Amino acid sequence: MTLSTIKITDRDHQIAKLSAIAVALSLVEFFFPSPIPGVKPGIANIIILYTIFKFDMQMGVWVSLIRVFVTSIILGSFLSPTFFLSLSGAIFSLLSLMVFKNLKREYFSIISLSLIASLAHIFGQFIIVRIWIIPHNGIFYLLPIFIVSAFIFGLVTALITIKLLQLNPKK
Amino acid sequence: MRLNSLFIFFLISFLFGCSENKIQHSKDFIFGTLIDIKIYGESKVIAENVSNEIFNEFHRLHKLLHPWEKSLITDINNAISKKQPIPINNDEVINILKNTQYLEKKTKNLFNPSIGKLITLWGFHSDFYDNEVIPNQEKILKLVSSNPSMRSIEIVNGILKSNNENVQIDLGGYAKGYALDQAKKILLKNNVKNALINIGGNILASGKHGERNWLVGIQNPRKPNALATISLDPGWTIGTSGDYQRYYIINNKRYSHLINPKTGYPDNKTQSATILLPPSKNSGVHSDVFSKPLFLADKKNKAAMAKALNIGYFLIILDDNSILISESLNKKINWEEEIEKKIITIL
Amino acid sequence: MKKKLLQSYKLIKIGDWFTIILFCLLIIISTKLLWNMPQGEYLEIYKNNELLATYSLNQKITKEIKGKKGKTKIVIDNGRVRFSSSPCPKKYCIHQGWITKANQTIICIPNEISISIIGAKKGYDTINY
Repeated sequence: MTLSTIKITDRDHQIAKLSAIAVALSLVEFFFPSPIPGVKPGIANIIILYTIFKFDMQMGVWVSLIRVFVTSIILGSFLSPTFFLSLSGAIFSLLSLMVFKNLKREYFSIISLSLIASLAHIFGQFIIVRIWIIPHNGIFYLLPIFIVSAFIFGLVTALITIKLLQLNPKK
Repeated sequence: MRLNSLFIFFLISFLFGCSENKIQHSKDFIFGTLIDIKIYGESKVIAENVSNEIFNEFHRLHKLLHPWEKSLITDINNAISKKQPIPINNDEVINILKNTQYLEKKTKNLFNPSIGKLITLWGFHSDFYDNEVIPNQEKILKLVSSNPSMRSIEIVNGILKSNNENVQIDLGGYAKGYALDQAKKILLKNNVKNALINIGGNILASGKHGERNWLVGIQNPRKPNALATISLDPGWTIGTSGDYQRYYIINNKRYSHLINPKTGYPDNKTQSATILLPPSKNSGVHSDVFSKPLFLADKKNKAAMAKALNIGYFLIILDDNSILISESLNKKINWEEEIEKKIITIL
Repeated sequence: MKKKLLQSYKLIKIGDWFTIILFCLLIIISTKLLWNMPQGEYLEIYKNNELLATYSLNQKITKEIKGKKGKTKIVIDNGRVRFSSSPCPKKYCIHQGWITKANQTIICIPNEISISIIGAKKGYDTINY
């Protein structure tokens, strides 16, 4: 009898812990009704940003994607439109972070990156909605509401992440 | 701080971005339809006052003539169905009823406001006509063969009597036109020359839009846009009967509120009939009433009907999307869409 | 408390101000472009990506549309329109209430029904609706 063993590293433990927190935050958000339909603060993004800046980009990608998959499986929306919306948003914001993370840190803080990522998130979702779910230009009417909310929540997410990083400085 | 001042600057330029306008525009919903009044070249205060006076007059007429909510008309209908005579202390209504008798005869019975029972049967006596069922054929034929007519009504010394208890008055095809004539009087009284009044498709173009005439779009009955535009000379009136406003569809067949009094069924050989009338005292009523016989008449009789009613300007769209247009209107009209020449017949 | 506020203010670096200003510009421009809308004239009802029907807004009428999960009721009431019942779990579409202006949209993702108001192209002063 052979036992195949998988080596579980510290890094994997970290990813698992952070993903679990991110999933928990997503679930909390799901069960609290939002004041404007479809507008959510995206509090799980705090964990993603924190992961990227405390550890590295690759880990952030892991946590973000695990969050999307696990949350949708728990909520029973896996492979439904809601899942693809969430996945597309996550991919777009991760891509934007990869592009912009090399901005000079003495001029640009996490605030800029968070704002850019939240905007990318909205556009990622809108692209899916426009091509797949509601292929009609009428939906662009909703865009300003989402851009404003992206601005507010992007800013708040950044400030909380900065606070968290101050409390747990990079080793 | 820099951010704040910049933001405020943009906010201000955004708020004041709209330009000023010589047109005062007001809207209301009366007679179960949209009323749209545009007044050109008057101050905001005058335009608002005059519009409100017109809206108030329309509300009064709506309450007076409503075909199914309690009104003088429903009181009359109740009395008729009980075969009781009823006194009417309202000269305005007496004149309207007498006028409809004359118009019914003139339109060879195709305008018949006494078929309220048929309209109820088809479910159009309701703001939300969502019980979409085709009525029983026997009931329809029974009502049609009882020959309801305004001419079975007799008004002597203010007492109304009808010898046909199946008569139920519905002024739905008259009231909006009458309201247009009343609005004309209000504009004249207030010395407002330039105004465009649209009561659910019955339009009065009083005066002009500045240097140019008022421009009216003609609805494409099957698409959400204008088929053509017409420049209305000062004082002219336009009226349309169409199957695209109040209707329902069962098994891909369209049933509109325009019911042919001779058959008891909604006509579905015509999509819309539009007429233009020159300025006259009753042009509003005529624009409303005379579009119906043009809509309901058989295809081959439409031109003769127009001639009998002295209508020189008409545009009729048939069920196969082909167009019948009078020669004089064809010279005036601007087609908005590419219209194939072969589907237009100039009469 | 004041000190803390000041600290968070200092967190914002010069480049962040640049990002924030760009973002505000984006908000203003998108609002101006996308919300510059006239009163609506027609209603389009979509099921997934298929245009089911177009109705004039100038009427009172209730329509029932069969979506993926069940029947959605749409009420047109003289120039405005709303969802009055829907089989979706959260009823966001109903809570959105009445819409009146061109380009305004209500979307019900679970039932795959959306409605959108469109304005008329205006080459004229009024139309014989």
